[in-house]
Amino acid sequence: MPLLLYYFLSITAINILMSWALYLPYRVAHLHFLTVANMAISGYLSGWLVQSLRLPFGVALLAGFAAGTLVGYAVSLFIGEAPTFTVVIVGFTFIYISRTVIENTPAVGGTLGMFGLPLVWSTPEGHRWTILIILGVMLLLIGFLIHRFEHSRLGRAASAVFVDKDLATSFGVDIKKLGMLLQTFASAVAGGCGVLYGFIYRSFHLDFFTFHLVGLFMTIIFVGGYATMWGTVVAAPVLYGLSLLLPPAVASWRIVIYGAILVGVLVLKPEGFITRRLAVNVERLLSSKRKS
Amino acid sequence: MQVFLAQLINGLSLGSIYVLLVTGFNLLLLVAMIIHFSYPQVVVFSMYIAWVVLRYTGNSIPLAVLASVGSSILINLASAPIFQKIMKNREEVDINSTMVVSLGIGMIITDVLSHGFNNGLPIAFPQEVVGEAALFRVGLISLQYGQVASLAVGALAVSGVFLLLYKTRSGRAFRAIAEDPSGARLVGIPLLSTGLQSYALSGLLGGLIAVLLALMLGYASPGLGEQVAHKVLAVSIIAGLGNLPGGLVVGLALGILEALVQGYISGSWSNGIAFVVLLLVVLIRPRGLFGIKL
Amino acid sequence: MAATEPLLRVDKLSVSYGQISALSAVDLEVYPGEIVVLIGANGAGKTTLLETALGINVPRAGTVSFRGRVISGQAADRNVRAGLCLVPEGRGVFAAMSVLDNLLLGAHHNLRHVERNLERVYRWFPILEQRRKQIARTLSGGERQMLAIGRALMSAPKLIMVDEPSLGLAPIVVNDIFQILVKLNQEGYTILLAEQNAYKSLKCAHRGYVLETGRMILEGTARKLLEDPGVRAAYIGA
Repeated sequence: MPLLLYYFLSITAINILMSWALYLPYRVAHLHFLTVANMAISGYLSGWLVQSLRLPFGVALLAGFAAGTLVGYAVSLFIGEAPTFTVVIVGFTFIYISRTVIENTPAVGGTLGMFGLPLVWSTPEGHRWTILIILGVMLLLIGFLIHRFEHSRLGRAASAVFVDKDLATSFGVDIKKLGMLLQTFASAVAGGCGVLYGFIYRSFHLDFFTFHLVGLFMTIIFVGGYATMWGTVVAAPVLYGLSLLLPPAVASWRIVIYGAILVGVLVLKPEGFITRRLAVNVERLLSSKRKS
Repeated sequence: MQVFLAQLINGLSLGSIYVLLVTGFNLLLLVAMIIHFSYPQVVVFSMYIAWVVLRYTGNSIPLAVLASVGSSILINLASAPIFQKIMKNREEVDINSTMVVSLGIGMIITDVLSHGFNNGLPIAFPQEVVGEAALFRVGLISLQYGQVASLAVGALAVSGVFLLLYKTRSGRAFRAIAEDPSGARLVGIPLLSTGLQSYALSGLLGGLIAVLLALMLGYASPGLGEQVAHKVLAVSIIAGLGNLPGGLVVGLALGILEALVQGYISGSWSNGIAFVVLLLVVLIRPRGLFGIKL
Repeated sequence: MAATEPLLRVDKLSVSYGQISALSAVDLEVYPGEIVVLIGANGAGKTTLLETALGINVPRAGTVSFRGRVISGQAADRNVRAGLCLVPEGRGVFAAMSVLDNLLLGAHHNLRHVERNLERVYRWFPILEQRRKQIARTLSGGERQMLAIGRALMSAPKLIMVDEPSLGLAPIVVNDIFQILVKLNQEGYTILLAEQNAYKSLKCAHRGYVLETGRMILEGTARKLLEDPGVRAAYIGA
């Protein structure tokens, strides 16, 4: 398959998954930027497992998920019901600290990073297809889980918490448990994404996991629409495709462009393009078509 | 002992910069009702403006200071309508929207700095301006021009802010809005124009902070704004959002901590350790040491 | 008194909070030199009416005119500058600020004559001069109400609107407050008073209105309202 298509599909899949990972805790107003740190930690861990310990990719991928879950869970014990800005600052601080630790750890390549990771399949073509299939499966699985969550009692509880935390508590919602659940799940997904992100390029570098990612995922969520999961599905390919279509001179300014789009959308279309009402109407339309 | 004293002075200088940043941030929070996460990035942008002016005017310090303060005030006032537009009402802090918008503004500023100035490389302030020479030396303790300036200007600025708050018409309006925005409105305090005043004031502070940072650090980089922003927000959380005296204490404490680490352990670890300590405090007390206003 | 133009005139005013209608086509007039009382139970819309007149809410329909000019939709601070002010219910005082600072806040738009106005307020309320450096939180309920009124006086208003001055105060203190309002009126201040305590307020007023669930159902001279059986039954009680 053409290389450009491979990168487009795989990176878009990562962007959707990571934006979903950020979207889920935001249902209770948590901007869980720890997920970017999870990417870095699990990614570098998997790289080290495969390169230094010669473990198979599958084990490394599972280890990535596990690391994400553990870190996410441990941190959520403290910030499961913290105010939004606390969650934000914990996330940012973790990103900074994990980057510093990675930078100073020669075993994972320090500032140079890791290169030439082994293929996950016997051929380069096979490798690419394997990665894409894994990403596809993740998209379907995570998407399904999020969809079920939205239409469940928990999902409604989350909406209540977003609007009014105290009111939700008086309805019997356990804010801490809900926050912990969403944060841990998000971190788990992010861990897997971190592993896959590196294996798309078969290398790991600190430049992969910068604060730019935070900006990118935020733009995807808020431009697409933070009230439903479909916003990111639409916004991720569009925004990434946009950056690929731009001439290279302009493309290096893409973070500025994303930032401008983000601010513009917040001012002009605060709920994003795919609003809750739109998604509900579309769902209603689809289900009525199914019945007839 | 001498190392300790030297680093204490260093720490106080650095700490006063943090205090000023937290004060500017709190002003915007209490009076303009916004969380301006990227206020430190506006400050770093002003540092760059000062650097450009220094280059083009043969190191004219007064012009650079003017340019720095001017750009800070301008950017703040320019961003005011954006914040106003996304706020639900002027009587409450809309944490989510203002935080996300300010993160977006920060993205833009940081990336403009990465691409528009010096090819993204860190900028260095000329030696004649920053001054390596010590003003005063006793053994290991040397007071550099930059440190004296930050301490002096820092102390002056903080006193200036407190004077303004307690002795002027605007300051009274600020305090009234900080205490009870809807009550202030009922009493006839104009929320919009007073809010704009706070944008301008924190812009003024920001410009001064930029100059002090230039003197203290001698350099600036696109990533500096993000780093400082994270520390300032962490300090604000620990001190309690909107808590001015708390910000004073915690800001100075952080400065001293960083300086002591720099002196006793190593310069490159000071940032990392500072972040670890901040993280631990925030994790243990997610609502801050002195309780939260919001 | 009624031959001149009304100082404040509310014309078919309707105000809604979202879907909920708080006021429906309400009319009201206050002439210079009067004390007008607005009577109504909790939730009748008295505060909404006063706050809309001040400029806090934008009406859905109808107008508010002050000194002959339509002011509905104008921001509150503009109206305060023009001579309209409000002593809000329970909130006219900033507890963390000193008594003096609270008074100076009242003069926010009128600093030119601040010394003179401060003198005047101190003459009305000597206790405020005594406590001028104290934090407002340390004042008693009655003193706080005096501070709120004093703060309003600092803007040299033409019309003072007072929202439920008796709320939360002991009866003796309530009498004091009403006496102060009467004396202010004798000095020339026009007062619009919103009250649940119909008896005491009607006794010092010239005219009154009765507001019930957003609608003006009765108006007349204070005496007429005091003697009205419906008013007696609903608002004055046995």
